[in-house]
Amino acid sequence: MSEAATTLAGARKGRPSILRRWVGQALARNLSCLVVPGPEVALAHGLDLAAADMRIAATPRDATVLLIVGELSQKLDEATAVLYAQMPRPRAILVLGGSAPSSLPQADVSADLSQTELMEAATRLQRLLAEDAFAASPDDFDSSILQAKTEYVCPMHPEVVEDEPGSCPKCGMDLVAREAGGDSDAGEHDHDHDHEHEHHGHEHDHDHEHESEEHDHHHAHHNDHGQSHEHHHDHEHHQNHKRAHDHEQHQGDDDHEHAHCHEHEDHGHQQSTAQEQSGTEYICPMHPEIRQNEPGSCPKCGMDLEPHKPEEDEGVREGVPEHDHEHHHDHSGHDHDGHDHSDHDHDSSGFMSMVEVTKDLPRSADGLAMDWLEVPFGPCFPGLPGGLKLTLTLDGDGVTEGQATSLVAMNTSSEEVAVETFIERLAAAMPLAPVSYRLLACRAIEQAAGLEPDPAVERGRAAALERERIASHLGWLAQLGRQLSFVWLTRRAAALQLETQRADREQLVALRPALQSLIARLEHTPLLKARLKGIGALPHGSQDLRGPVARASGRTEDARQADAMYRELGFEMRAESAGDAWARLRQRHVEIMTSLDLVEVAGDPELPKLRAIDNPSGTGEATVETPRGRATLRLTQERGQVVSVELDSACSQHIGLVADLVEGQELGDALVAVGSLDLSPWEVTS
Amino acid sequence: MTVALVLLTLLVGAWLLAVIEAWLTTGRLRPVAPLLAGLSHLGRESILARKPDRLFFETAPVLLLVVAVLGAAVLPLAPDLVIADLATGALFLNAVLAYVLVSLIMAGWGPNGAYAMVGGWRFLGQLIAYSMLIVMPITATAMRAESLLNSAIVESQAGLWNIVYQPLGFVLFFIAAIALAFRSPFDLPTAPGELAGGVDAEYTGVRLAVLRLARLVMVITLSAATTVFFLGGWQGPLLPPWAWSLIKTLAVAVSMLLVGFYLPRIREADLLGWCWKLGIPLALLNILIVGLLILVVP
Repeated sequence: MSEAATTLAGARKGRPSILRRWVGQALARNLSCLVVPGPEVALAHGLDLAAADMRIAATPRDATVLLIVGELSQKLDEATAVLYAQMPRPRAILVLGGSAPSSLPQADVSADLSQTELMEAATRLQRLLAEDAFAASPDDFDSSILQAKTEYVCPMHPEVVEDEPGSCPKCGMDLVAREAGGDSDAGEHDHDHDHEHEHHGHEHDHDHEHESEEHDHHHAHHNDHGQSHEHHHDHEHHQNHKRAHDHEQHQGDDDHEHAHCHEHEDHGHQQSTAQEQSGTEYICPMHPEIRQNEPGSCPKCGMDLEPHKPEEDEGVREGVPEHDHEHHHDHSGHDHDGHDHSDHDHDSSGFMSMVEVTKDLPRSADGLAMDWLEVPFGPCFPGLPGGLKLTLTLDGDGVTEGQATSLVAMNTSSEEVAVETFIERLAAAMPLAPVSYRLLACRAIEQAAGLEPDPAVERGRAAALERERIASHLGWLAQLGRQLSFVWLTRRAAALQLETQRADREQLVALRPALQSLIARLEHTPLLKARLKGIGALPHGSQDLRGPVARASGRTEDARQADAMYRELGFEMRAESAGDAWARLRQRHVEIMTSLDLVEVAGDPELPKLRAIDNPSGTGEATVETPRGRATLRLTQERGQVVSVELDSACSQHIGLVADLVEGQELGDALVAVGSLDLSPWEVTS
Repeated sequence: MTVALVLLTLLVGAWLLAVIEAWLTTGRLRPVAPLLAGLSHLGRESILARKPDRLFFETAPVLLLVVAVLGAAVLPLAPDLVIADLATGALFLNAVLAYVLVSLIMAGWGPNGAYAMVGGWRFLGQLIAYSMLIVMPITATAMRAESLLNSAIVESQAGLWNIVYQPLGFVLFFIAAIALAFRSPFDLPTAPGELAGGVDAEYTGVRLAVLRLARLVMVITLSAATTVFFLGGWQGPLLPPWAWSLIKTLAVAVSMLLVGFYLPRIREADLLGWCWKLGIPLALLNILIVGLLILVVP
């Protein structure tokens, strides 16, 4: 049921010509996809992109096709619009097994979630690209998500950020407008919004300069850092103040230069008159030219004037903002201010010294004071699970703090649904472990109905669960390979994962030598141990560890131990002890082999299906050891309808560990540490 | 004529390398794939990031390509097939390769993005790690040849290739060359899984095509350098000299790719630590051994 549009919404502007036709054909035969939510989700659905002649692109910049796998949550939908805006035209959208995201144009090709549909869709997409990569008047892509959001900040107190204009509760100064930064950057690049400005159907090579004089940018801060302290120029400070005025009075005014000139003259004049006065005077911390003999507020910015004695000024140059006594003699701090007047720094809070901004923050481990950048990683970052957004504050390439949020978190407070629908929904909501959650739902419902476990059924279910565990751990290995550019591992593990997913007992047993050799090889791969050893070690006594992460730290935490069926199958838990990323890798190796043994004993895997229940009301609770750890589901059903649900999953606990894991680490190590947790953002409950 | 031949060699080498690279990653051997990729880059928009440092952004890919070609200019592919057989050829190569850093810092700074920025500065750390391991093994080969003339270095290996005469130097140079070309496992500045492309992250269209080409040519140039310094250059039986140069260069280039294919990315701290604590003492030892050999063996 694959459907294709007749024209390409993301065509590039240009009249068809022979050369453009060739380019279109080249694009068609060289499909590079940005997979949303991520390549691991495509793999978990059993999609083999390479077989469909598609290459996985690491960034939206390098992608021709936006490949959307399954339904997206609202937040991920919005983030996807940003990613799409970052892709260079000609670009296409391919939606597999979901409705087209609302913030994107109509999908160029949509199909069901299966390998055959994917192959067919790829062919259609190729035809479309070959013929319609260029169009005389392509559609613009615009979405409310991409519009810059304005927020209001206090120039003196960067922590004061309001949605509406007003004055600062701390110093009374008028808040200034700026484009909302970091938080609204849902996509993986800093420049999310930027490119949108460029995407109004123009040719891009020539028309960018006009835009965005006034916007804030993380990066801009870099310019004022590390500049030599010796360079004093008298007009440095004038620059500062010019800028301060500018932001109040000429906000959004493109004619900056003009504004600067006027202010400049004005400025010098007022200063010289102010200097002649003596005794206590009151000056505006932001506008030293505003001096008066009595307290009051600044006519320019509304800030309260501060008392000031001219003799204190010694050693401090004329016009230095004096809002903070600690910094009274701190030249370096102020000198930084003056330097950030490089061309592309029109940051509205940029006149603030970064030293000022960071003065109360702890220094990095090496003692260097650097500009701290808040950089989003995710929700579609090549080295992290799709749907996970990691926000790291970078100090150089060290991480000072970070936190992870899930954009695809499960919402358990849903409306009443029939039990069968509930099972399907829960399984579909967890693309990385559908079997485990299907089993969890079946068990909870059966328990609520008062059914006793049936050993024959449980055997097949256990085999299915263990097969999923093998596939899931292989998927994690493939993801590790992507994170570390370990191409061989990615290819090998992904191929094995695809084979495992559909295998029966016999086929799984036949895969044993391949799995063993993969594991043996990894344990002896040079550099791998050095890369993982000692990384991501959890603080001692971390609570709520589950699954392989817990067992890699030597905890005997495994829901399967309590299961009579598993005892019968001869399950024996084995655990590593070091608790770092290397131990987690080895723990997963061990579990792959243990699960294989279990499947061999248990027989053919059977997908969990709800058994016939006679009493469709009651409360049930079930626990399943999912590939990522123990999950417990409590539900209440009434007359065949599930009315309330409570889910307690491993990833909800583990996502909270991220902040501790990344703090103080080098960027690469921090990402490896987060990756080693094998978070599934879907299994986080909101 | 010579210039055209050398450029053609570099292009053919880059194409072959791209074919093999695609073969390794996708498992399919498609000779046209690099050409299609190149053509599609030309047809795509070349987006300029917001508030870029335009000069740096535009210059970086071109500079990297120029560096790679300039480096190849002093490497003899056959006795008379060299663009400039400078009297200070070995030194010139070192000097040229220093500009790889300049190019990457520019590519990191230019697009005004955090990923690129971190990638660019990471390469500065990487340079501190590998640069001595490029210079010192070359020094040892020049010692044996008693000349900085690259053709003299090739001729000095007539009896015994340097890979046998000074194997330690070869290993160090080979590793350092991969780091210099920032190929996996030393792809710290681009690091797809850590920085989403790093210095590459904001390049699209024509600029990206130039950048990719430059990276491939860089591998070929460094492989040719390895051939000249350690594998006896154009020397070999039966086949014409240029064919030997080509075969050896490609063999080195492919082995560089294979190393990356089977290894995970190194940790930045480990790279620095190992290069300085292990690599540089070994490189000094190599110079010492070569010095002794020159004195003892006539």
